[in-house]
Amino acid sequence: MTPLERAEAKFGWKLVAPTILILGLLILYPLMYNVYLSFFDVQLNGYKTFVGFENYIKLLTNTDYYSAIGTTSLYLLGTVVGTTLLGLAMALLLKDPFKGRGLVNAAIMLPYVAPVISVVFGWQFLFDPISGVVNYLFVDVLGIWSERTNLIGDPDSALWVVVLFDIWKHAPIAYLLILSKLVSVSRDQYEAAAIDGYGPIGRFFHVTLPELYFVLATVVLLRLIWNLNRFEDVYLLAPNVQTLPIFTYYQAFTGVIDQGLAAATSVIQLAVLSVFIWFYIKKIMKW
Amino acid sequence: MLGKRTLTGRIGFALAILLLVSFSLLPFAQILSTSLKHQYDWGNPSLIPQTINLDAYKELLGLTEAKKVEIPAAIQKILNNPKLPKDKKEAIAAKYTSNDNLFPFGKYMLNSIIFSVGAATFSLVFSVMGAYSISRLRFKGQVVIQRSVLFVYMVGGVLLMVPLYQMAMNIGLASSLWGSAFCLFLIYIVQTLPVGMYMLGNYFRGIPFALEEAAMMDGCSRKEAIIKVVLPLSLPMLATVFIYCFIIGWNEYLFASVFLKQYPEFHTLPLALQELFVSKNAIWDRIMAASMLTLAPIVICFLFASRFMKGGKTDGGVKG
Amino acid sequence: MAAITLKNIVKSYDKTQVVKGIDLEIDDGEFVVLVGPSGCGKSTTLRMIAGLEQPTSGDIIIGDRVVNNIEPQNRNIAMVFQNYALYPHKSVKENIVFALRRLKVDNDEIERRLSEISEMLQLEELLERKPADLSGGQRQRVAMGRAIIREADVFLFDEPLSNLDSKLRSHMRTEIGKIHNKFGRTSVYVTHDQVEAMTLADKVVVLHDGYIAQSGTPMEIYLNPTNIFVAQFIGSPSMNIIEGTLFNDYLDIDGYHLPRNKLSNVAYQETISEAGLKVKVGIRPDFFNDKAFFSETGITFNFTGLTIDLIEPMGFDKEVLFNLAGSSVKARLDLRSDITLGAKIDLLVDLSRVLIFDHETEQRL
Repeated sequence: MTPLERAEAKFGWKLVAPTILILGLLILYPLMYNVYLSFFDVQLNGYKTFVGFENYIKLLTNTDYYSAIGTTSLYLLGTVVGTTLLGLAMALLLKDPFKGRGLVNAAIMLPYVAPVISVVFGWQFLFDPISGVVNYLFVDVLGIWSERTNLIGDPDSALWVVVLFDIWKHAPIAYLLILSKLVSVSRDQYEAAAIDGYGPIGRFFHVTLPELYFVLATVVLLRLIWNLNRFEDVYLLAPNVQTLPIFTYYQAFTGVIDQGLAAATSVIQLAVLSVFIWFYIKKIMKW
Repeated sequence: MLGKRTLTGRIGFALAILLLVSFSLLPFAQILSTSLKHQYDWGNPSLIPQTINLDAYKELLGLTEAKKVEIPAAIQKILNNPKLPKDKKEAIAAKYTSNDNLFPFGKYMLNSIIFSVGAATFSLVFSVMGAYSISRLRFKGQVVIQRSVLFVYMVGGVLLMVPLYQMAMNIGLASSLWGSAFCLFLIYIVQTLPVGMYMLGNYFRGIPFALEEAAMMDGCSRKEAIIKVVLPLSLPMLATVFIYCFIIGWNEYLFASVFLKQYPEFHTLPLALQELFVSKNAIWDRIMAASMLTLAPIVICFLFASRFMKGGKTDGGVKG
Repeated sequence: MAAITLKNIVKSYDKTQVVKGIDLEIDDGEFVVLVGPSGCGKSTTLRMIAGLEQPTSGDIIIGDRVVNNIEPQNRNIAMVFQNYALYPHKSVKENIVFALRRLKVDNDEIERRLSEISEMLQLEELLERKPADLSGGQRQRVAMGRAIIREADVFLFDEPLSNLDSKLRSHMRTEIGKIHNKFGRTSVYVTHDQVEAMTLADKVVVLHDGYIAQSGTPMEIYLNPTNIFVAQFIGSPSMNIIEGTLFNDYLDIDGYHLPRNKLSNVAYQETISEAGLKVKVGIRPDFFNDKAFFSETGITFNFTGLTIDLIEPMGFDKEVLFNLAGSSVKARLDLRSDITLGAKIDLLVDLSRVLIFDHETEQRL
């Protein structure tokens, strides 16, 4: 290495040092520390006793844990399919310029940027058994349900409200990703397909979909990754829907506190998450 | 695609757009509507209030006088006792004069602003430095750092809450007010830094190298080239990243609840709103007005930022 | 003002060597053009002179100092980039005077130089505009202005004209030539366009695959290329290379016997065995003439009865193709030649312009 190259490398390290320090100390180290904690009985005040694999055994024999896994799977399935399909529909609908597209764009992006804490109250009011417009619609107007029900109060139905909420909030990001690919598909391809005799539906399946295959895979993977970690959107809207993050939070900070068990839950979850991230990095980023 | 040339096609398109926009905006409309309604009007499915009620906003913004609570005669007698030390008197009086109906919205908002603006500022500075380094400078280890940043970017807060809390506990920060606040501040920086690095890294890579080389040919050192050429060129992106980091901090609930739950005077808006919701003071119009006021800064920021993120140009990995 | 010396410069990225040992002397005030196909190392060499890349080994000397460890900003060099690299957020004026402002040159001096340069480059009307509002040619002139105003020791040009259309390119080429004549600074100019190389250079350096294939004045390179690569790279249309056999008395090309004692540009004097020596013969298309309009002299050779396979009228002249020893050979004839496809024609060749290359090494004999 020449002195000038050395100087450049030194400058590079200097600039990136604070970042490495912060991320190392507050993300990488905690992740490892978490593994360590999972072998201890950990009190909220920091007091620890070594218990070996007991936390894992306790976890794997806990039926609530399996039901949390089940809930999480349903949540992931519903949200991933929902956001991807709605995002795709939005992208197809809004692909071509029209008058007022800017406003429509801003309107549909709003759920994505809005603070969870504010919008959950709007949603809770919509589903409120007494004043909510959903019950009014299904009971009084359409008469589909015989009586007003508290959809958010019951964990089973609340799961679907939470799924719908996530679709509402995160379809915009799927939309942006898909749209950016969609607008790059060259017009020639559509014209060539049209000349070959394909109608709009044929063109969708033979031109659009193959072009979007990759970005759709990206969307699905990213949704899986983010939603496996999703806490606020579920907890604040319907704390009774126990996906894994909520399950962990309850273990760690409420009721009978067992932070060691929470650590063990996180360790397993990190392992699963790492598989998704690995997939993303290998297949999407192509490293 | 949708045959927009025919009349039915056009009507269908307009209907689809209308449906989509309504779906997106309905919860916001509901929040606004309920915040402006009187209690008797809540059950009315119409979004338009029969009469506009601004009390909730006035109360939150401190525009109404706190109601004086009568001090019972017996207590008044104790207070009049000259033997009682002054500080005790005040403590007792405070019990009766404090109005626990009051929701100090302004204070919470200020807390939120301090945490999110502060964290976003630090985050922006560090991510400019880091992103420049990994995207423009040549050194060994660069690729590893770049990949690690992407990895940690995808590790959610849930996986970190226990170890971070325990770490804070071990070094004694979690047991004091300022220590907890400091921890939360650091955590907000950590949560926004990878996003900032990612967005800025991609942006910097898009700036032609030749511009910096031209600056060096014009006699600038690397540092000068960054300050005089790269940063001025990146201003819109810097603003976007700042706003993005600000939004993340402003919306955060999990760590605020872990570290600040026991310190009401430091509550941020999400935490305070959730506490309000589960307290006995939960009244729909007040909650909705508070939601509206929490939303407002974000909407303004977003409209500002969206000028820079036109159309579908946002980059692939934005957090969501 | 400064001379430049490159001493055995090598540059490798990871395991691939891009520049494989270049020695070059550039005199003070000389205009040197580095030319070669893409990937020959010409841009890398230029960037190493600028300090934007570091040589893996070897020394770069500018003036009287070795600059290897001197940062680009301290080498007192000005450079015009291929994509101009104008600062998009600054006006044309601020782009041009940026370096002077940094050096805290006083305002009157800045204004004086600015008005001189903007007049010379016809930029007066554009000074307040942003680069985005300029056409390609205007941007190019701003980039020139930014480089000139520095009054640096050395000017570097990295394919400065490659993004312009052909008309503007030839105009700007002339301008660059004028500017060099006026300021007389040491200049290094990289291009893949041999016309730029021929017209601008005091010295042309042809690079091939990381080595210098040949360096010399444009005419030397054109008339006396030392190997087939240079012979074919310089000159358009490129030199014909034809199989031939050299004997003691004559050079045989497809049965035509060219007298060896008239090949005045062949230095090779060895005696050859009975069987003859297989060689490659190089003749530029420009050195063929139609016998109908030129008379034979002592140093011409007449290729009789050639059959024309293709005619390409180019306007002022026409290019014709015929077959010789299995190669398709091109000749450039003047407008008057009234030939038709398939017709027989006699062509004269100036024997002093015929070159012979070794069949294996492709070096000049």
